Amino acid sequence: MSSPPAAGVEAESLIVVRDLEQNFGGVRAVAGVSFSIEKGRITGLIGPNGAGKSTTLDMIAGATRPSSGTISFQGRDITRLAAYQRARLGIVRTFQTSSEFARLTVMENLLVAAPRLRGERLVGALRGRWYWRDEEQLVVERARELLGRFEMTAKEDEYAGELSGGQKRLLEIMRGLMAEPEVLLLDEPMAGVNPSLARRIETYLLELHHSGLTAIMVEHELGTVERLCDPVIVMAEGRVLRQGTMPELRRNREVLDAYLIG
Amino acid sequence: MSSAWQFYISSVLIYLGVDIMACWGLNLQFGYAGLVNFSFIVFQAAGAYTAAVLTLGRPGPASIQQYLGGAHWPFPLPVLAAGAVGALLAAGVGAIGLRRLRSDYEAMVMLVVSLIATSIATNQTNLVNGANGLDLVPKPLAAVLHVSPLSYQWFYVAMTAVVCGLVFLLVTLITGSPLGRSLRAMRENERAAAALGRNVTGLRMLAFVVGGGIAGISGAILVMFISAWSPGSWLYPETFVYFTALIVGGSGNNMGAVVGALLVPVAFLEATRFLPQFGPPGFIDAVQWIAIGLLALVFLWFWPRGVVPERRRRFPRARSQLAATEGGQLEQNAP
Repeated sequence: MSSPPAAGVEAESLIVVRDLEQNFGGVRAVAGVSFSIEKGRITGLIGPNGAGKSTTLDMIAGATRPSSGTISFQGRDITRLAAYQRARLGIVRTFQTSSEFARLTVMENLLVAAPRLRGERLVGALRGRWYWRDEEQLVVERARELLGRFEMTAKEDEYAGELSGGQKRLLEIMRGLMAEPEVLLLDEPMAGVNPSLARRIETYLLELHHSGLTAIMVEHELGTVERLCDPVIVMAEGRVLRQGTMPELRRNREVLDAYLIG
Repeated sequence: MSSAWQFYISSVLIYLGVDIMACWGLNLQFGYAGLVNFSFIVFQAAGAYTAAVLTLGRPGPASIQQYLGGAHWPFPLPVLAAGAVGALLAAGVGAIGLRRLRSDYEAMVMLVVSLIATSIATNQTNLVNGANGLDLVPKPLAAVLHVSPLSYQWFYVAMTAVVCGLVFLLVTLITGSPLGRSLRAMRENERAAAALGRNVTGLRMLAFVVGGGIAGISGAILVMFISAWSPGSWLYPETFVYFTALIVGGSGNNMGAVVGALLVPVAFLEATRFLPQFGPPGFIDAVQWIAIGLLALVFLWFWPRGVVPERRRRFPRARSQLAATEGGQLEQNAP
């Protein structure tokens, strides 16, 4: 695992979050969060329930607008961009609950994620199949490679709604990868998955990490976080409590208190 | 075959063409994009009024019917204008109703739009002649063709078939492309589609506007055939006939829309014409609506995917890949 980044090296940061706040009515879900995400690393986001981890991820993905604060990506302020615009820049997310396109096949789920297809626009679609067919065939091949890598080839023509819970999690990660992300936001990728599949997902993520994937991962299973993430950000009551490597955090009294009391 | 039967059959075929086009428009909105457009009939009506006004000419002060504008545009310009007005109206309604609302509220807004539109057309007598509606709409090319009424009927059948073919080409180009796949993905999960870079608002507007345009064209073809159009022709329950057709035929499938149009607005409603009159006046008409509602419920309970369900899309493998896959399977199966 790589060594932790030097503090304050924002020039190399892919995402910089500054003083992010989110108020839902009178409830302050996120209260002034700041951190940066380095390229090529999987950053863990941990904390007790209600710490504001998923809300922070939602704000980075553009699913909810922050009440205040800024988010920049590759030096560009993206705070006011919609979710789809951020996805087109390369910020792609997975969800805590299953979000497959149930009545589309596994292959179609992957193809929807492929960016910038010629037949995606009305003009391209009206020009007919010959205009986008060759490009689509290339994307289908890429999707098949991904299916093979995740041992899901046999499921290609099944409806996504008919997959098991674990297979849906795999599909979601594959879909994220199919979108050619600059950074992948993983919201509890192991939630509701049996231990054997969770180990498989972990192995896949480790392989992706070694091939240069940048990701932010919200996860409750600390063993997984320790094996995959560096650095790890601990949140509690809507704030960043501490940031460091998992062994460092395990020795920190404040972090232990937040987990035990929180 | 007697002339009377030929008249009847050709009329039914024209109604079928109009209903098929309308079902394709609604299928694009509801079956593919998941938009619950309870005001669909309004866009068909807008097209019908546009085509009527653009063929009737300007109303004189002593004219028996009063309406806004008026021109003598040659065919097929009124039909194209009807499509454009249907699309523009959809863009306006969509900008208000589709941008920020959840689908259940969106359906309510569309129902309200339908009620408001009927009320305006009925009470603003100078707009499209109020409750009396427009009458004596000239039949396209009738003055040029100089043929018998029966021959003209068959000409109109052929013309409707040509327009149907063009609309079919439009909807299949959209629904069979990656754009159609994005529409279906949005129907399944808007949040996930947006997270993968799909502009959900743009996709919803696109389906709504193209569907509105198709509805307008179907209205134009209908009004030029029946020569009259009034608010009584497009009350909001008419939208539910098209929804029932899609539910019965199979939404998310353009052939399902054809089957639905054949079974519900044409076969099912035509069959009631042959029932013997019984009960108080208007009883049969009332029973028709009850039967349409029950038909939708029965299919939703027992056959929710319809007669022709949405088809599963498979992507053929190249021959070399097939051989490799089969080889791999043989290796796996080897002891």
